[in-house]
Amino acid sequence: MASFLGHSAALIAALAVLPQLVGEFWAYTLALYFLYAIASLGIGLCWGQAGFLPLGQAMFFGLAAYLSGLSLIHFKDSWLLLLLLPGAALAPGLLAYGIGLLVFRGRTLSGPFFAMITLALTLLAFQIANSWNDVTGGFNGLKNIPGLPGLSDFTDLYYISAVALAVCLLGIAWLRRAPAGVVWRAVAQNEQRVRFCGFALQNVKAAVFGLSGVLAGIGGALYAPQQNLVTPQLCGFLLSADLVIWAAVGGRATLYGPVVGAVLIGILTADLRDEISYWEVILAAIFIIVVLYFRQGLMGFVEPRFERLWRRRTERTLDSPARPEASGDTGLADAGFALDDVRVRMGSVNILEGLDLEIDRPGIYCLIGPNGAGKTSCFNAMTGELPVRSGHIRIFGRARTGTAADLLSRIGVGRKFQAPSLFPDLTVAENFNIGLWGGRARLRDLVRMGSHGWSSAILREAQSRFPFLAEEDRRAGDLSHGQRQILELVMVLIAEPRLLLLDEPSAGLSQAETQEVIEAIRWVGGRLNACTVIVEHDMTFVRELADRIFVLHQGRLLASGTVAEIQADERVRAVYVGASA
Amino acid sequence: MDPILTTNILNVVYEVSTLAVVVLGLAVVFGLLGVMNLAHGEFVMIGAYCAFFVQAQNLPFLAAVPLALLVCAVLGLVVERLLVRPLYARPFDTLLATWGLSMLLREAVEAVYGRAFRSVATPLTGSVDVFGADYPSYRLLLTVVSIALVAGLVWWFVRSATGRRIRAVVNNPELAGSVGIPVTGLARNTFVFGCCLAALAGVMLAPLLPVNPTLGLDFILKSFFVLVVGGLGSLVGLISGSGVIGGVESVVSAFLDRTYGYTTVLIIAILFLWLRPNGLFPRT
Repeated sequence: MASFLGHSAALIAALAVLPQLVGEFWAYTLALYFLYAIASLGIGLCWGQAGFLPLGQAMFFGLAAYLSGLSLIHFKDSWLLLLLLPGAALAPGLLAYGIGLLVFRGRTLSGPFFAMITLALTLLAFQIANSWNDVTGGFNGLKNIPGLPGLSDFTDLYYISAVALAVCLLGIAWLRRAPAGVVWRAVAQNEQRVRFCGFALQNVKAAVFGLSGVLAGIGGALYAPQQNLVTPQLCGFLLSADLVIWAAVGGRATLYGPVVGAVLIGILTADLRDEISYWEVILAAIFIIVVLYFRQGLMGFVEPRFERLWRRRTERTLDSPARPEASGDTGLADAGFALDDVRVRMGSVNILEGLDLEIDRPGIYCLIGPNGAGKTSCFNAMTGELPVRSGHIRIFGRARTGTAADLLSRIGVGRKFQAPSLFPDLTVAENFNIGLWGGRARLRDLVRMGSHGWSSAILREAQSRFPFLAEEDRRAGDLSHGQRQILELVMVLIAEPRLLLLDEPSAGLSQAETQEVIEAIRWVGGRLNACTVIVEHDMTFVRELADRIFVLHQGRLLASGTVAEIQADERVRAVYVGASA
Repeated sequence: MDPILTTNILNVVYEVSTLAVVVLGLAVVFGLLGVMNLAHGEFVMIGAYCAFFVQAQNLPFLAAVPLALLVCAVLGLVVERLLVRPLYARPFDTLLATWGLSMLLREAVEAVYGRAFRSVATPLTGSVDVFGADYPSYRLLLTVVSIALVAGLVWWFVRSATGRRIRAVVNNPELAGSVGIPVTGLARNTFVFGCCLAALAGVMLAPLLPVNPTLGLDFILKSFFVLVVGGLGSLVGLISGSGVIGGVESVVSAFLDRTYGYTTVLIIAILFLWLRPNGLFPRT
């Protein structure tokens, strides 16, 4: 907190003194690039934090500029401007949020799809602005837009931009350090794990995109009164491209990178464009080189060193709030799940062919079967990762066929994957926090620094069982394979699920670690009164843990029973020995 | 048949078949290398400028074909070596790098020729009577050449040994490499081939387009939508995708205007991402 205040004071002082140092002309030029910088900050959020790249950010900048320009022309000197101008800045945010929900809902992959859709939208926005003469003024745009009432000279304009930039920077600095920022970086690392921790991925990404829309909106809304002119180019792909280049060259993952990029390159461009005819080509080449070799950008060399100076981890002093109980599904009868004649098909291969499986009380159950029996697919079908062709799935007594993983996680289904699925570039502490926040944190918890200090009895117990988990400042990706397995398991456990799906939790573990994991599973299962289902090949593991075993073969349930019953079962033997069943 | 209807149908066929040529280059590269080459449209643009250059030198139009192929092959080789190959395992960065390349090519052409729209004279003037409709000969020729080109390439892809190797690499690059298929060389050749195809399309379309540095953008977006709608990795998908996107755009543009055509295509693409993310004919 103290560091945050110090940081704010330094930033504000620097921005206040700047015009005295550089003179009026440069202050005016800077004011314009500050507005672009605000929009570029939005690219930093989307691309540098949450990992998806918008290529059409100018449409939001342009939209806000048109809205603000029209408001100023038609309601000059009216008090209505006090509502209209903020509205002009917020409207693009709403639009971005809507587009985000629409696009991210369809496809969870960030890849090229989102980028291309935004690029197409910005071209569309340009076309509309260019051809809708009655409203936008067509090719010539809106001219003679009045300035903001009460502001006259260039220095005033500078201060307006500088204040807007400072407010945006400080807001972003806060969010980046708050839990929200951790969730964003987690999204960039591993979307699947974020969903399975209970976060509705499309909402998170749409919110980030919406926020970036607001930032572009603030820039655009101030652009109109500052420049007194709004043309269709402001929505076009060239400005969109510039915003991305600035963020990339300045350093997309850093706080100040987009600002440094926008101001530095913007001013260089203004200066050199006419002198060097190939300046734009050189700029594109610089961008390519940054993408290839210097992904962290200019500020990437500087900022991390400072961050390390003042970043200290919050001690875990608060017990996390209890998980909200899902209504109407208490009682033992609804503790488990049931698969009824479930069929799953991939391409021309039938993976599950009428699988029936029912578990109706807490306990530890093992799913075994030869490779290709459909064990992992059974988990995938239950968690909505594989489309179910026919049949029904009930979880905790409710129909849950095809229910999305994040909702399942929030009602108490936890899943550990076969290969450790966590956030390698986040610290162990941040990995835990994602597990703790998912399903528990409300929106306001995600913007509060205090939520970094959440703890829980299960986490403390896990840290005493596995001492390496207490070294919370380590990068998760630096842990050994076995340690990552355990970290993921604990991430799932601290969400306190009532149905635990564990896919080969002991794979790659040493014998001592396996023993620890067995004890941890038994302890947690008992404490949470959970239904634990484990896919496992290691028979010692199965023998030691399983209350009951289910044997899958060729997408169907072959047998079920106690360890002794299964060991005596002729059909099971036949399957494992290789005779046809 | 009603001549206006005939003209419209021919326009749709023209739109679809020329689009298919552009998309084919993009799709082959994406299929084999997993690289979405965002500069693909700029290769079309360079092809078109080659046609403009040739005409400005008073050379015959057909001289543009070898020139465009040469320019884009050399460019493709350099780009593959410097940009695409170092980023094979980083598809998102490839996207960015090729996007940067598209800017670079656009700005380079702009630095030489400026932003002005250039026109290329049609090498084949006059029109032909098709079922009572007067249809421009050059467009008709282009349609025929495009269909022949796509059909020929498909035939070659299915029948030739190289085509089989390419399909093997698409299926399983590691296994293909271990049975002795020179994967790196094949990938390079495929990339260059994709660039050349785009350049060829650029030459052919130049007389019918306002030739300017931003011409490629339109093509890359449309091609991308074709892949979204048709699905990646199959030729049926490619052709049906071209059919949907090219067809819808030309029909809507004919009845309303270009902005509506563009908007409709965009909405279709978003709906596909939403409801059928793997397209009409997904790769199995």
